[in-house]
Amino acid sequence: MDLKELVCTLAGIDGVSGDESRIAAFCKELLEKYTEDVCIKNGNVIAHFGKKEEKPHIMLDAHLDRVGMVVTDFKDGFVKASPVGGLDMRIMPAQRVTVHGKEDIKGIVCTLPPHLSKEKKVMDRDELWVDTGLDKAEKYISYGDTISYDSPCTPLLGTRVCGAGLDDRAGIAVIFEIAELLKDENIPFTVLLSTGEEVNERGAATGGYVIDPDIAVEFDVSFAMCGGEKASKCGKLGGGAMIGFSPVLDREISLKLRAIAEEKGIPYKAEVMSGTTGTNADRFSICREGQRAATISIPLRYMHTPAEVVDTEDIRACARLAAEFMRREYK
Amino acid sequence: MNKELLDTLLRELCMINGTSGREEKVREYILSKISDRCECTVTPSGCIIAEYKGQKRREKKLMISAHMDEVGLIVTDINEDGTLSVDCVGGVNADAVIGRCVTLENGMKGCVGSPAVHNLSEEERKKPAAFDSLYADFGTQDREDALKYISPGDNVYYENNYHVSPDGYIFSKAIDDRAGCAAMIAMIIENELSFDTTFTFVTAEEVGLRGARTAAYVADPEYAIVIETTTAADIPLSEGAARCCELGKGAVVSYMDRSTIYDREMFALSRKLAAENGIAWQTKTTIAGGNDSGVIHISRGGVRTCAISVPCRYLHTPSCAAKAEDYYAVYRLAVLMAENIGILG
Repeated sequence: MDLKELVCTLAGIDGVSGDESRIAAFCKELLEKYTEDVCIKNGNVIAHFGKKEEKPHIMLDAHLDRVGMVVTDFKDGFVKASPVGGLDMRIMPAQRVTVHGKEDIKGIVCTLPPHLSKEKKVMDRDELWVDTGLDKAEKYISYGDTISYDSPCTPLLGTRVCGAGLDDRAGIAVIFEIAELLKDENIPFTVLLSTGEEVNERGAATGGYVIDPDIAVEFDVSFAMCGGEKASKCGKLGGGAMIGFSPVLDREISLKLRAIAEEKGIPYKAEVMSGTTGTNADRFSICREGQRAATISIPLRYMHTPAEVVDTEDIRACARLAAEFMRREYK
Repeated sequence: MNKELLDTLLRELCMINGTSGREEKVREYILSKISDRCECTVTPSGCIIAEYKGQKRREKKLMISAHMDEVGLIVTDINEDGTLSVDCVGGVNADAVIGRCVTLENGMKGCVGSPAVHNLSEEERKKPAAFDSLYADFGTQDREDALKYISPGDNVYYENNYHVSPDGYIFSKAIDDRAGCAAMIAMIIENELSFDTTFTFVTAEEVGLRGARTAAYVADPEYAIVIETTTAADIPLSEGAARCCELGKGAVVSYMDRSTIYDREMFALSRKLAAENGIAWQTKTTIAGGNDSGVIHISRGGVRTCAISVPCRYLHTPSCAAKAEDYYAVYRLAVLMAENIGILG
């Protein structure tokens, strides 16, 4: 599978926070091509590569879950939904979704016709209803079933792809790319694919505790520059890896990563955050006695919409940078 | 009534892209289906006038009409970063476009973007999307790169995803008004009508009922039946009369909307025929919307006009929802009206 295909395949699997079992099973199977030591613990996928006792123990993390909704009530063919994670309510009217019931049921987020809405406003979180096209939705759907965007990942021009859930399937793709780069080098490390990032980084809290690494490298998406964004807050699509600098990250590692990128000619941008990073790295840095944390982020446009865009060349840059960092840590 | 044919025609027509002014692919499809059965001419404004020959002649000419165009987007400018400024063709709400996958008329895939919700202020998050802040992104690197593939004036379409639910609900773009086109094609193919009839497949309804004005002038009928879709708001967010009409309750026969006060006798006849033949029918509980009847009923010296519509949720979005049984009811009622309109003299 080439990288574009891998990214699209990963993004094509659902996994709203709390309901990550299908994407977890898929990733476990892919990881088993590289190592026999793979398990699913508390929903997290954990895979050990090489000898466990070698120091420093490096953990690579990306999150399995994606934003979506959960079913809270019924009315005939409609299901009431509540957001899971930070949804952009501006985009909800008539949005296509899939309800993961007894079988996958396609649906549409209800919206009033313009001439009947008294004022033009963004939908409230408690106005979310999904039209399932069923006479009785309860026949196929239960309370607590999850709902994800129905937006297949599609290749765009060149090396870009567009779809729902690239946050953070792009990060998972980076980790597979690293496994591929290092497969003949016998470098020990642990992979964590964690649940519940979108709902307070819960899987990272437990996964970080169980794995107990010395260094935690987080692969998540960050903002890519596009119309309406501030350039100072953003990376550039196709501009390479975003290396995190933040009070909660290990400065020495950030500097090492930057030096490697300079030396190897890997495209990068320093992503400077004045506080926490908004990623699982925040959890790792205060897990147990505190793990030395770093972020290597993939620039992404239109975050938390069904039409997120990443450039696979950026995924490659992130993987090359991390692989080189790991080689040097074990020298 | 051939349900299989009606289903196939609707699906195939909805999958074709054709915004107002760009109906050529829809027109080609329709002509390929009917030109061996009707004498067809295409007017300067792109409408098809199809003269159907029955076994019997009418005393007064009947025109049956539906529009070929759909709402969509048009590229208005190419930005330095390779994204495209877009505007709506027809009545499209920006909030039904933001964050969606779209297709350029040349088949290139892309999406409609906006800044991440994370970076918006509380106030900005509550502000509905507007076209002047939206742009389409097809993965082009910059303006120069984009110009290789895209020109201002190109059309951008909703990504289609025609879906029929287990209970017969149809989700698709462009049901408005490909349902009307499909019904008319089926009437022709199935030889449903015993009388001569003029079928008009018209352009540019969504930008001001433009094609129908010219088609009605050319056809010069005494009676007209418009086959359309109409807004249903039978969702949990609305109650009572505000629901307009409901899916599963049958064909919608209108007495008045924003563009037309319909012919009273035709309104009465359609209700009578529906009742006598066991066809489910309903009318609208709000005076809202409008369709080509608005220009047809005042064409030349006046045309006696009725509209028979498929109730449809989420009109003008990438996912309209209609119910197959309503579409069949519209078809049957339109055929009965066409066969019996002579009663009115």
